[in-house]
Amino acid sequence: MTAVGAAVGVLLALLPLAVHNAYFINGMILVFIYGTAAEAWNLLGGYAGQLSFGHAVFFGLGAYTSTMLLAQAGISPWLGMWAAAGLVAAVSLVVGLPTFRLRRHYFALATLALAELVRVLFLNWNLVGAAVGLYLPVRLMNQPWAMIWNTKTPYYYIALALFAAACGAGAWVGRVRLGLYLRAVDEDEDAAAALGIPALRYKLLMMGASAAFTALAGSVFAQYVLYIDPSTVLDPLRSVLFAIMALFGGRGTVAGPAIGAGFLILLSQYLGGALGGFGRGYDYVVYGLLIMWIAAYEPRGLLGLVQRLRLWRPAPAPGAEVQPPAHDGDARGPRPAPAPLLEVAGLAKRFGGLRALDGVDLEVRRGEIVGILGPNGAGKSTLFDCITGYLPASGGRIMLHRAGGPRVLSGRPPHWIAQQGLARTFQLIRVFPGLTVLEHLLIGQEHRGESIAAALRPSPPAVRRRAEILLQFVALEAHRDAPAAALSYGQQKLLAFAMALVRRPPLMLLDEPVAGVNLTVVERLKDYIRTQNEAGTTFLVIEHNMDALMALADRLYFMANGRVVVEGPPEAIQQSDEALNLYYGR
Amino acid sequence: MNLLLIAVVQGLVMGLVYALVSLGLGLIWGVVDVVNFAHAEYMMWAMYATYFAVAGLHLDLLAALPIVVALGFLAGLCTYIVLIRRIMGGPAVTQIFTTFGLLFFLRYSAFAAFGPDFRGITWPPASGSVLILGVPVSTAQADAALAALITFGLLHALLQWTKTGKALQATAQNPAAALALGIEVEWMYMLAWGLSIATAAVGGVFLLTFYQVSPTVGDAFLLLMFASVVLGGFGSVLGPLLGGVVIGLVESVAGNLVSPTFKLAFVFAALLLVLFLRPGGLLGQERRG
Repeated sequence: MTAVGAAVGVLLALLPLAVHNAYFINGMILVFIYGTAAEAWNLLGGYAGQLSFGHAVFFGLGAYTSTMLLAQAGISPWLGMWAAAGLVAAVSLVVGLPTFRLRRHYFALATLALAELVRVLFLNWNLVGAAVGLYLPVRLMNQPWAMIWNTKTPYYYIALALFAAACGAGAWVGRVRLGLYLRAVDEDEDAAAALGIPALRYKLLMMGASAAFTALAGSVFAQYVLYIDPSTVLDPLRSVLFAIMALFGGRGTVAGPAIGAGFLILLSQYLGGALGGFGRGYDYVVYGLLIMWIAAYEPRGLLGLVQRLRLWRPAPAPGAEVQPPAHDGDARGPRPAPAPLLEVAGLAKRFGGLRALDGVDLEVRRGEIVGILGPNGAGKSTLFDCITGYLPASGGRIMLHRAGGPRVLSGRPPHWIAQQGLARTFQLIRVFPGLTVLEHLLIGQEHRGESIAAALRPSPPAVRRRAEILLQFVALEAHRDAPAAALSYGQQKLLAFAMALVRRPPLMLLDEPVAGVNLTVVERLKDYIRTQNEAGTTFLVIEHNMDALMALADRLYFMANGRVVVEGPPEAIQQSDEALNLYYGR
Repeated sequence: MNLLLIAVVQGLVMGLVYALVSLGLGLIWGVVDVVNFAHAEYMMWAMYATYFAVAGLHLDLLAALPIVVALGFLAGLCTYIVLIRRIMGGPAVTQIFTTFGLLFFLRYSAFAAFGPDFRGITWPPASGSVLILGVPVSTAQADAALAALITFGLLHALLQWTKTGKALQATAQNPAAALALGIEVEWMYMLAWGLSIATAAVGGVFLLTFYQVSPTVGDAFLLLMFASVVLGGFGSVLGPLLGGVVIGLVESVAGNLVSPTFKLAFVFAALLLVLFLRPGGLLGQERRG
């Protein structure tokens, strides 16, 4: 892929030597500028899954900033475009912080509205020329420092270099850990947070990078067309075009937005020429039809279409090439003294008038397997959600005792809690359908103290080794490159369990680990839990399968109506009339 | 006369019109769970249809009304059957992408067919002005507001008092359960699309009596519609009604009393505020995911 990209780059660099058609060269310059913006849009909308329809703001602000710096302060665009990129990235982060709380359509809508707001402001702001717009100082024609020429070749190379850089950034993200994290966040943000992935941080990073590249494209566009006004560079239609190019070609890939930009721009240019006699707008009619057709037929875009047409594919060799070490990497230390690990005191959760949790006290000691039992609606899953930060508690205290002192978990976000060494699985299984089995295990790595620079590198060998070991542990080696969506329900449960194990969490919360799977898998899961417990992991398990829980747990809590009714060893619960009456509704 | 009262009355009247054209957007969002970014384009086509019926065929506006509304219903039905059915249950990206494609197609087909000119009609019964609470309002706008109230009343009655309406509501709340109860969910989706575009058509017909049509008329309305629906919430008929009225008031009061240049900026700011503070709308319930 890299080789193909480099070859295409060299060919594009040689193109102006062979082709002298100004109409075509103009088209290619626009392809590069729009392509840069589409690749930039793809950093946020493709990899991070945040569909922005406001990127014209970044494009326009970039164009305005470098132009103002040149026209008013005589600062060369070679410097000004970087100032623009920095400013726009800063603006995007300010915008991103509140906007990232919104999901799905609401994010798209908010960006659309923000873009309109900025356009209206610029239309009426005299300092930046209001509706009249700004002319670039053409008296500086052919002075290289001013980045203004009356020939197209210099622009061609500047735009090409920028485009190559944007493609490079996309390729980089696609190849390192960050790319995996973003795909996970895109597919299921809550499940990603349970692994400790700080979604907001990485989304903001992509927002900043995306805005900066879009601003650079805007600066170069202004230098090329020599005139900007709100209805060109801040046009909401432009935002939509960037998005459509990326989506049309195939979002979340490097080649997609590039192909989309090339196809749509050149189509528009030559279609406009061919149909010019009938009036304008035909190119957009064709765009509309193509977009609808491709969205309904192949949501992965043109690239997906190509992949679908490529019928012959080398069959992957059966996964025999990796021989994982025979011994599990978990060093079994001496069993620590039973000190408390998790302490829950007086935990309350109210939904309106309903008391889902009504003063729950619970303690999990190091090395234990503690079970939680109770009828449906007892508040078990709510308890887990409060402990792991998915629901804010209405009262009470949650403490995790770790080396270096106790940590208060109440009021903290899920990813932070996960980073303290607390892993969880969900009652309704949550894996990332589009990620492969191996990728699940790679993103399960420790995220505590992981810097952005670290996330920009591939997964370290230690994590890869650990992933291979766990792959074998849960017997999914044969499926290592299969997407999770292709696994059976039982296999998905095993995968979710293994994924949570990667970072060796001292405490695991399992919500109905053996529900809905066949007896063989029940036995395997019980074995895994026992093995891991002997290796030093503490477990807190919600389960309806009484036999499994009795066989596993050191202690049980019986919950009903948001309270702990009985607590004790399994035998004691089994003989508690109160618990049995509540459970069987007698 | 009190400037604020004028602004409020005019805002209310225009707000009802915004509510009328937004109603269908909220209906599809609520029932079919698709966000139709092309909704304003259907309104634009209804305006053109009305223009050609009145200016070309010399029909009276009230004679053109049922024709245009019926065409709108059919257009909604066809859109669902030909396009939307294929992307139901797909990722949000695909849905947004598809309806943007629809927006491009509808807008620029109008552009290719009719050119960029503005076109309007005059409807003699709607010339002059009427007094509402002592404030003069153009008869055309007052008629549009009246049409909005009647449409809302009819739709509300349909949803609340008929079996079909109940089935539509059940489909909105839980399509799988509705299917299990024997409701023809497919038909409900078709009905929702038909009604959605039909109500946009009612709005388009009356809007044309005081607002000229051009292919890009949807630009000004798209965000107004979204603002109305998001503000009011899309769970009910009353949501867009309330949302539209609030948006009309914001636009009119801020536009008249603060600055007419920035009246749309106030609307967008209001939309953003609601998105950030109450993404489920004033009446609606927040959806998860």
